[in-house]
Amino acid sequence: KPHRFTEVFQALQRLHMTIFSQSVSPCGKFLAAGNNYGQIAIFSLSAALSSEAKEESKKPVVTFQAHDGPVYSMVSTDRHLLSAGDGEVKAWLWAEMLKKGCKELWHRQPPYRTSLEVPEINALLLVPKENSLILAGGDCQLHTMDLETGTFTRVLRGHTDYIHCLALRERSPEVLSGGEDGAVRLWDLRTAKEVQTIEVYKHEECSRPHNGRWIGCLATDSDWMVCGGGPALTLWHLRSSTPTTVFPIRAPQKHVTFYQDLILSAGQGRCVNQWQLSGELKAQVPGSSPGLLSLSLNQQPAAPECKVLTAAGNSCRVDVFTNLGYRAFSLSF
Amino acid sequence: MSSESSKKRKPKVIRSDGAPAEGKRNRSDTEQEGKYYSEEAEVDLRDPGRDYELYKYTCQELQRLMAEIQDLKSRGGKDVAIEIEERRIQSCVHFMTLKKLNRLKGRDQTHEAKQKVDAYHLQLQNLLYEVMHLQKEITNASGVSSKHEEIDLVSLEEFYKEAPPDISKAEVTMGDPHQQTLARLDWELEQRKRLAEKYRECLSNKEKILKEIEVKKEYLSSLQPRLNSIMQASLPVQEYLFMPFDQAHKQYETARHLPPPLYVLFVQATAYGQACDKTLSVAIEGSVDEAKALFKPPEDSQDDESDSDAEEEQTTKRRRPTLGVQLDDKRKEMLKRHPLSVMLDLKCKDDSVLHLTFYYLMNLNIMTVKAKVTTATELITPISAGDLLSPDSVLSCLYPGDHGKKTPNPANQYQFDKVGILTLSDYVLELGHPYLWVQKLGGLHFPKEQPQQTVIADHSLSASHMETTMKLLKTRVQSRLALHKQFASLEHGIVPVTSDCQYLFPAKVVSRLVKWVTVAHEDYMELHFTKDIVDAGLAGDTNLYYMALIERGTAKLQAAVVLNPGYSSIPPVFQLCLNWKGEKTNSNDDNIRAMEGEVNVCYKELCGPWPSHQLLTNQLQRLCVLLDVYLETESHDDSVEGPKEFPQEKMCLRLFRGPSRMKPFKYNHPQGFFSHR
Repeated sequence: KPHRFTEVFQALQRLHMTIFSQSVSPCGKFLAAGNNYGQIAIFSLSAALSSEAKEESKKPVVTFQAHDGPVYSMVSTDRHLLSAGDGEVKAWLWAEMLKKGCKELWHRQPPYRTSLEVPEINALLLVPKENSLILAGGDCQLHTMDLETGTFTRVLRGHTDYIHCLALRERSPEVLSGGEDGAVRLWDLRTAKEVQTIEVYKHEECSRPHNGRWIGCLATDSDWMVCGGGPALTLWHLRSSTPTTVFPIRAPQKHVTFYQDLILSAGQGRCVNQWQLSGELKAQVPGSSPGLLSLSLNQQPAAPECKVLTAAGNSCRVDVFTNLGYRAFSLSF
Repeated sequence: MSSESSKKRKPKVIRSDGAPAEGKRNRSDTEQEGKYYSEEAEVDLRDPGRDYELYKYTCQELQRLMAEIQDLKSRGGKDVAIEIEERRIQSCVHFMTLKKLNRLKGRDQTHEAKQKVDAYHLQLQNLLYEVMHLQKEITNASGVSSKHEEIDLVSLEEFYKEAPPDISKAEVTMGDPHQQTLARLDWELEQRKRLAEKYRECLSNKEKILKEIEVKKEYLSSLQPRLNSIMQASLPVQEYLFMPFDQAHKQYETARHLPPPLYVLFVQATAYGQACDKTLSVAIEGSVDEAKALFKPPEDSQDDESDSDAEEEQTTKRRRPTLGVQLDDKRKEMLKRHPLSVMLDLKCKDDSVLHLTFYYLMNLNIMTVKAKVTTATELITPISAGDLLSPDSVLSCLYPGDHGKKTPNPANQYQFDKVGILTLSDYVLELGHPYLWVQKLGGLHFPKEQPQQTVIADHSLSASHMETTMKLLKTRVQSRLALHKQFASLEHGIVPVTSDCQYLFPAKVVSRLVKWVTVAHEDYMELHFTKDIVDAGLAGDTNLYYMALIERGTAKLQAAVVLNPGYSSIPPVFQLCLNWKGEKTNSNDDNIRAMEGEVNVCYKELCGPWPSHQLLTNQLQRLCVLLDVYLETESHDDSVEGPKEFPQEKMCLRLFRGPSRMKPFKYNHPQGFFSHR
């Protein structure tokens, strides 16, 4: 039972912690988690999953203050962890992060229009074909940054309110973005132009006015796109811009992803939802947080023993699902 | 051959019986006549060298002859036999020669030679034996160390430096180690003699000084009664000048009868008061006579006992106390307090006083304290402030976790078991609280790991805790008094924000506090929106619990408050439940969770000037502001007709931000707009 001031304060901090983002290391053995206090914790998945795992294995190997504001988004390249939150993106070397006192390799800030308040970066997307990073968030624009030189090469304008999420269509290459203005926009990277717009809230099948029109999550798989947020979670056929399946769940979804022949989603509420493409709910597995904000599937080929689904959100914990049927255990800040 | 040998043998036989007589007879024989062959005479005449040559030659011949016979025999043939015969005869002659030589090798000569050799051998043996013996003696002698080697002599350089030249005699001793050692021994003896002298001198000095001390002591003891009479005479003068030395003296007299822990407390508190804090006053209360009576043997009671036993045997009608009453008496006995107690009065800046009375439980070897707070002007206690200054809880958890409900002495448990006491907490109202800091101030330390047989009062333990404890006590009283005043205001629906904290809030705050009440601990635990706090172990039974209700229009915000006794170092913790268009708590509304974070985690900004008495009221005011923001920034539902219930009046840069679409809860001063953290 916490008695001393420091114990009480730490308990309060943990109670009010939100984990916004996760990223798996290139070797597949570690998981980075970013929270609302600007901290990043690195967990050892291999240690936590091993048969000799103790309670300490579920604690971070290292925790450090990465940003001044919340860490809303993270992605990993084959050597770096890129994290973003309050307006700037920072790069960390995976190999160095496990040591104490790790410093960022570099940090960059896209050219913002506003100066009163620094806009947040809600989504990061890697485009491997052109070795670039796309950032999007509070200033309603998509910025591309060349990872080699660090220069900002494009600005894609079109959203009328801030951007929540990004998805990549490998073939074209095209980028999809979803935002607070309720629209999903497709951008062609070669021409740097918006090529398609879907205003989800205008479709009766999926609109839910009492929740709002915001698009909180996006995922794409060749010709298909699934998105959710204020409107219902819906599967779209991109070329024809038609909603083909509306998934019957009331709670707004904050993260969605295609996995094998399923769609996984999570949002308000404790559960990770598994959907058939037909719209049928295959399973609903409860996690330990009252609401979830991010899902991460560890599919790194170098660590098949760490192939797990991890879910995090409105708590200091990251739930680990070794198979999609149940929550095996939770890692904790 | 046999006839020849027998002839020769005869003299030999005679000769073998005793040599000397034979020798004489032999000589006489040769002197008389050379009638017959005398071998003995021949022996003397022969030359041993030539005999040896002859012997060698004869052997060689024999060998040659044998070889020739062998040859002939092997060859075979008729004439061989004659040759062999010839050689046989020659061999026989050689054999005879050998026989003669053998006999002639007069035993006497060899015998003599042998005897000589033996004698020499014997001499040699004797000498060798002597040598061995002498060698043994030498090794023994060298093994034995002389006594002089055991003496630790000064080193050579020192010796030559210090010793006077008539002892060191450098010219002689440098070359001769034996002389050197002798000289060194001499010097050693010199030094020892000198030191023995010195020692005798010192002893006699010491005796002298001891005698002097005795004399002086006598003088001083005779001084005491004279001083006493002077003191008596000066009493009227003391009173006239307001210098009550006597009173302090009397108090010290009384203090002598205090039990050790109370004595330690008394001494340390008085010292602290004189040195650091003039507002602290220390006094002793209680009956000194009773204290003295504790050490008198109970003679009377023994007589009573024997009387009652005798009576018991005679009449069974005599009533005996029931078992229950007996146990009760035993309990009372066990929990008995020492008749003396120590009173500490801490006066604070605003003239309020904390009165502490410290008791000592003799059989349990622990101290307890009773507390009372008095103020300069009478306090009207608001309903919700009941527990703030009550004697039972005002000092609870002065140090984190020190709830004062259990005895700190682990040995007491065995004593309790004997008389059926479950826990000391049943008796604290009457006896006072056995806080850990109280034990420390009395110098008592009860280590958990090794329960000690006897715990004795330690001054240094008390001294090391005195200052911190006194300061904490003062802070505690001030903090509680501040809360007391604030609660009075809160119950009237006014959140009292001091002028130096106004900058934390916008000028216009619409939401109002409509209710402020205490909540029982069990009731707090039952609330559906406080589960997180309970699960985190932050809702123990030493905390104070309250419920605030903030309203605006149709929106009602309940705030359940956990007030830790360590306020304001430990911030109050809020859990919210908003009833407006449905029920929203931290489990279904991220913004409600964020509002809780704004007061629970970001509280440091709300502390105000030290000593942070404004924290609770500032948190409440902030909640009102947060509710305003929440209601005014609620996005308009397109499907619903009509205007928003709460038009936006707050200046916000953006309404929503981040993946969780947070409202702008952060107030920026002095610009006056709201933004996101």
